[in-house]
Parts: sequence; C-alpha cells; structure tokens
Amino acid sequence: MKTANAAEQTGDKKKTPRWAMVIDLKKCIGCDTCTVSCKAENRTPPGVTYNVVIQNEIGTYPNVALVNLPRPCMQCDRPACAQVCPVKATYKMENGITAIDYDRCIGCRYCVVACPYGARYVDFGEDYSQEMLAANEIQSPEYGVDRGKREKGKSPINNVRKCTFCLHRLERGEEPACVETCVGDARFFGDLSDPDSVVSKLAASPRAFRLKEELNTGPRVIYLK
Amino acid sequence: MSEHSQKSKRSTLWYAFLILLMVAGAVAVFIRAKEGLIVTNLTSTAPWGTWVAFYIYFVGMSAGAFLLSTLIYVFGMEQYEKIGKDALLVAILSMVLAMAFILVDLGHMERFWHTLWYMNWTSVLAYEVRFYVLYIVLLFSELYFAMRIHLIKASSLNDWKGKIAKFLSFGSKDTSERSIQHDHKVLKILGTIGLPVAIFGVHGGTGALFAVAKARPFLNSALFPVIFVVSALVSGTALLIAFYVIRNKVSGNPVDQKMVKSLAGLLALFLFIDVGLEFYEFLIGAYGLEHEELATITTMIKSDFSWSFWVVQMFIGVVVPLFLIFARKTKESVNAIAAAAIMVVIGILGVRFNIVLPALIVPVMTGLPEGYYYPTWIEILSSSGIIAMGLFLYTLAVTVLPIHTESSQVSSNHLTFDHRTTGRSEETI
Repeated sequence: MKTANAAEQTGDKKKTPRWAMVIDLKKCIGCDTCTVSCKAENRTPPGVTYNVVIQNEIGTYPNVALVNLPRPCMQCDRPACAQVCPVKATYKMENGITAIDYDRCIGCRYCVVACPYGARYVDFGEDYSQEMLAANEIQSPEYGVDRGKREKGKSPINNVRKCTFCLHRLERGEEPACVETCVGDARFFGDLSDPDSVVSKLAASPRAFRLKEELNTGPRVIYLK
Repeated sequence: MSEHSQKSKRSTLWYAFLILLMVAGAVAVFIRAKEGLIVTNLTSTAPWGTWVAFYIYFVGMSAGAFLLSTLIYVFGMEQYEKIGKDALLVAILSMVLAMAFILVDLGHMERFWHTLWYMNWTSVLAYEVRFYVLYIVLLFSELYFAMRIHLIKASSLNDWKGKIAKFLSFGSKDTSERSIQHDHKVLKILGTIGLPVAIFGVHGGTGALFAVAKARPFLNSALFPVIFVVSALVSGTALLIAFYVIRNKVSGNPVDQKMVKSLAGLLALFLFIDVGLEFYEFLIGAYGLEHEELATITTMIKSDFSWSFWVVQMFIGVVVPLFLIFARKTKESVNAIAAAAIMVVIGILGVRFNIVLPALIVPVMTGLPEGYYYPTWIEILSSSGIIAMGLFLYTLAVTVLPIHTESSQVSSNHLTFDHRTTGRSEETI
C-alpha cells in the first residue's frame, strides 16, 4: 500500500484520486441507514444489497456484545473477483474502484464464488413494482451509464452487481450515499493517495484494520476498531 | 415375435423415451432463456448449483474416457481395443453436454462468445474455455483417424449409412497397410498431445478453477485438481464399462468378460486412490481447525444435505461397487460389474455436487446468510433433457458410425492385435 501511494504521488499534478473509505466501528450504531440509503440511491432490486450491516453477537452471557460490521464492497487493490473473471468484465479502475462492465459480463457468477467478502450479488431480475409506483421506470446511472428502464433480459438483470462507491455521485463531487447519510458520522471518504486527506490520516491510526488481511486482497475499505 | 422386430421395438421405445425427455428439457431451457436465472433456486449466497455440478461431471467423464482411450492408442494396451472408439465418442459427447450445461447456466447466454473473444490472463476459467476448444478439436481428429479405415469399409455399402460413412471419410480411400500404420501413428501423436491437455488443461484445470477460490477454504487446496483428475478416471472408466456391457447385451453380441474384469480392476484402483485423496483432503482441512473449513465439512457429512455424501457418494458410489467387484459371488459376473459401474457413475454425481455446493452453503463471513439450495423443476427437467440429448446422440452415433467394430473385424485391420483375439475368453448371453 505504501509503495503504491509513493508511486501515485510522483505522478503528474492532475492525477486521479485513489478513493478509499474508512468506517469507524466505535461510531456505528447499527441503524442500517447506510443499507437503506444505498438501496434508494442505487435502486437495487430485491436480493441485491450493495451494503449490509452484519450483526454478530460475541462473548458468552453475561459478557455479551452486539458487533456491527457495515460491509460495502472492499474495492480491493488486488481483487479476487477481477482475478477470476473470464472476460475481464470486472476490472480495476485507475481511481481504485473495482468496476463491472454489465455489457461484457456473461453472468457466470465465478466472481461471486471468489469474493471473500460476500460483496457480490446476482441480479435475478426481481423488482419492487408490486410495492412501489414506477419502480422500473428508471435505473441508477451506475458507472455513469444511463440504462433507462429496467427490462427483463437486459443488463444488469442476470449480471453480477456490487457496490460502486457510488461512482456516479463521485463524478459530480458528492460522497457515496452511505457516507452522506450515516447518522453517527461513522464513515469517511476520500483520496488515499493524498497524505493529508482524512482517510489517509485515519488509515494510519493504530485502530485501523482491514477485513481478511491475510488474503492479501488489499481492501480500500478500512475499519477502525 | 421375431428377435429382430423385438429389437427394433425396443429401440423405438428407447428413442421415444429420450425424445420425451428432450422435449421436456427444451421447454425448460426455453423458459429459462425467456425468464432468466430467476427460474432457478440459485441465490447470491449459493450462485452455482445443478448445472455447474453437471458441467464438471461431464468434463470429468470426458477426461476420464479420453485418458482410457490413451491406454490403447498411446500406451498400446491392446486388451482394451474394443472400447477405444467408444471412449473417444463418449469423450466428445461428454464435452458437448458439459458445454450445453454451462451455456444454460450463463446469466447472459447470448454472450457466450465473449469467453473466446475477451481474455483475462489471470483467470483460470478463461484458459479453461480455450482448453476445451482445443480438446474438442483434438478428440474429433482422433475419432476420425480411429474410424477412418472402418468408414472407408462402410462406405462401400449402398445404404444411407454407407453414404454418411463416405461423407465422413472425407475422401480418404487408402486402405493400404501403410495408411493403417499411419493412422496409428497419428493417433499416438494426437493422444500424446491430448494427455497433458486433458490432465492439466481440461480436467485438472477445471479442478483448479475451484481450487483458486481463496474465499472458500475448503476448495482452496492444491489437492483439488488432483482429485478431479482421479475422479475423472473413475467416472470415465465406469461409464465405459457400463456402456460396453449394456450395448453388447442389447445387441446380443458376446461380452468380453476378461476385458470387463480387467477394467473393473482399474476402476477399483482409481476408486481407492480417489477415496484416499479425499480422506487427506478432509484430514488436512479439518486439522487446521479453520472455521469455514470445518463448517463446510460439517455441511457435507452432518446436515440436511449429507445424504448426498453418505448415500450417493459413499454408499452407492464406493462401498457397493467395491463389494460387487471384489465379492467372490459377483466378481465373475459381467452383470454385477456393470451394475457396479452404473452405481459408480451415479456416485460421482454426488462427488460433483459435493464439490460445488457445500462450500457455497457456508457464508464467507460470519453473520451473512447461509446458503440453501435444491434445484427447481426447470433445473431438473433441463438437466435430464440435456443428458437425454447425450444418450440420443450416443445411440445415434453408434448406430450410424462404425464405433463398435467387433473384435474379428478390428483385428483384421490391426495386425499387431491378431494374436490376442485367440486367447480371449468371451461370455455370451
């Protein structure tokens, strides 16, 4: 990570940011606002949830605790999903985001099996049209692509989907929806290649850790213990 | 009723049965194509199911059948000559079925060509697809050279079979001893190229496809590709025994008991190695006390799904067949050996399902939902339809093509095999 940063800094002045997210677990109250705002922002269908808050009970009575672990896509630097994709539909963007080309993806779901974080979902084509007016009339402009109506047989249906760090929001200068709506201000977002950014400073904290570091996937989502 | 009309009635029934299954399968595939993956019971937790299990099942069957064919064409074990072309045919058709299964499984079937058009240098699957193509081409060329001389002979017949044979001989008319020797040489070369392609590329590679998934500790083991290859040998050998015996019983031809017994010996050997390796896989996996690993093993041996391990994989697939092959009462009977072989073929199906599913039942992170999977009717009917298509094509091929040229005919073409025919003990029904 350090060497990557050094290389990033020697580039030209107008270099692309390398996005990263920091989640302070001490501040997370497990309210699931991130999950809900993510669904609203990305208009994900039933069964597709880019962000979840995993809740686990630890310890034995009477010393028990409920631990919340918000889990977006880790946007790994060495993503297992991109490694296995047979057609390079999943790939690493320069800005650090692991993207999916819906029009290239064949829907083999190998990446779902390969992801160590369970961050990938198959879009089976379900929708909220029974619960919501005009549910299929518009889709979120993921990766900056306007796909119009949600229609059977058309991508992203039958593709694999996952959190994009709200790339379409970043492009217009906004933070990802989960970061913006977090009630406890537990989420931070920024450029990890900028040593002065909040995320860079937090990432250097002794509280910082990443999920399944032993797998060497290099997640760009950093947690604070 | 004469024997002939009885036979044709039986074959009509057989075809009707297969066509029925194929029609049901076609309807299921059509619904699946129209409605998408929603018609399956797959989920984001367990994204692979029946179709993927059948896909690796048939890739294994193909690799196993092919490896058996190399015993004949590369290593010169003439005692198995009778099943040589059969092995190649089974290898080809198994690959066709495997490709059909994985095609049906794709979320976007219409983009199947992407797998050849786009390349990801780090993806095992990307290499696999290309190995499959190379392997299928190799198999077809091998089968051609194995059949060439028989095709030329058959093309002298004046019926429709003769015409097909004439077409498939691709204008070759040379029946000289030299051309036969040449065929043998080509077969040896193709088989030799095919060996590493089948072992490391096609089947070891398919095992590696699973083994590289570091997110799934149970799969992430270097022993996996090896187990894949060995279990391929098990299923390939078993299927060929079953086909050989059934085919000869149905057509009323003598069954070479000595060969069947010898093949059963091979089958038992492969089974022992397979079970032994599987034991190590479990031992080393469990020894690490890693949570996911233990949970996966528990899913296999002690859960709602464990019947597939104990009943299908172990009892039907290993215990009973080994008993039949070794028990004094049954080891001389080709019928018992054929039954053992059929059971192994079913048992390996359990092996394949237990490769794909248990690791997907256990969530990758504690707190994420557990997987649960049983196929839907669409998945079952499409699968049986595809398998019926395979049996249909097999029956058609052995009827039309000179696949089963019986021993006398074969040995007259293969001078080196002549002395063997006399010493063969043949059992007739």
